[in-house]
Amino acid sequence: MKVGQLSRKELRSRLSSENGLRVKFGPFIVRIQSFLPSLVDPLHRLYVFYALADDDIAEFHVQIVPKRSPRRPFTPLLQFLVDGQAPFPAAPVHQALTMLEWGINLAIAVRVNHFLLFHCAAVERNGHVLLLPAWPGSGKTTLCAALIHHGYRLFSDEFGLLELQSGHLFPLPRLMPLKNQAIDAIRNFLPEATLGPEIHGTLKGTVAHVRPPEASINREDESAAPRWIVFPKWIANQPLQLEEMPRSEAFLLLASNAFNYEVLGQSAFDAVTSLIQRCECRKLVYSDFGSVLAALNELTDG
Amino acid sequence: MRVVDWDGEFTVFQPAAGKTHFLNEMGLRILIMLDQSPQTLEHLCQLLAEHFSLLPDESFMQQIQKTLYRFEALGLIASIHSPR
Repeated sequence: MKVGQLSRKELRSRLSSENGLRVKFGPFIVRIQSFLPSLVDPLHRLYVFYALADDDIAEFHVQIVPKRSPRRPFTPLLQFLVDGQAPFPAAPVHQALTMLEWGINLAIAVRVNHFLLFHCAAVERNGHVLLLPAWPGSGKTTLCAALIHHGYRLFSDEFGLLELQSGHLFPLPRLMPLKNQAIDAIRNFLPEATLGPEIHGTLKGTVAHVRPPEASINREDESAAPRWIVFPKWIANQPLQLEEMPRSEAFLLLASNAFNYEVLGQSAFDAVTSLIQRCECRKLVYSDFGSVLAALNELTDG
Repeated sequence: MRVVDWDGEFTVFQPAAGKTHFLNEMGLRILIMLDQSPQTLEHLCQLLAEHFSLLPDESFMQQIQKTLYRFEALGLIASIHSPR
């Protein structure tokens, strides 16, 4: 059963129940609890394709709860909790959705150690995974949003989940937070994309979430082998460049970009070595969607 | 230690510390030579100069000494006193 098969009333009732709303995100089950009525509509719209996991054990138990601040006694605030702990400060009520999404991502980033967890976007085309590691100015979420509406399957805009034994990537197709100018860029380029409400005044400015395509969520249990690693950088008015990257540099950037590289030790070293040896590594500079799509299509058709 | 060659640059995994290091050929050769037997700075510079066909002048020796200090700080090597 999918979240979209629940009425708004049923969704609200589940969110406020002891059992919570249990949702499957790739290999993880998350139990979400909240009494906040304003969270119901965006979740009903953006979580519509996710499977309910009523009978499965949840890895993450998260809540959005009201919070009183002595410094701001008249401002209604909310606190995100994971297993009863607050990993970051309270925020205004209108930021509930960003808080929930960031909170779940943070919980995954700091707790998951049975995958090597890269900070990157990952998409699949022609049966293989293209990794787009995050680095300052990469615009990975924006690029990822454009790709998944042009024939690429979304694995994740935030995490590359590498299984150490198989060397395969596992999908985790969660909502994709666009920020500031990227919101209008995607609205203009992808009028067919479904976006959530614009949430203003967050730590990262204005945020709006892209809903992953239904097909990507339906195939969230299908892993695939990686084949390309492309380090993107968006620079306004720059002509497209897609150049080979020395493998030693790719190793350095990828290893330092994994959340749990040091925790996993030698297994992580071996996994990154094997990943780099199996993949084509490129540096990408782009400024417009048309040329970057053409270049990445050519790369992934090869 | 695990060493992987990336066309003349090397990634080295140091199990005891769980750290990964990036070395050029000179850095790796220093580790290999010191792994084979302890060396004085002077003798090590002589061996390296022979291996890479370089002139073991003062500036070369200073560079190697700097590298040794760095390796020691990273726990890759340890200084020992020669027996009397």
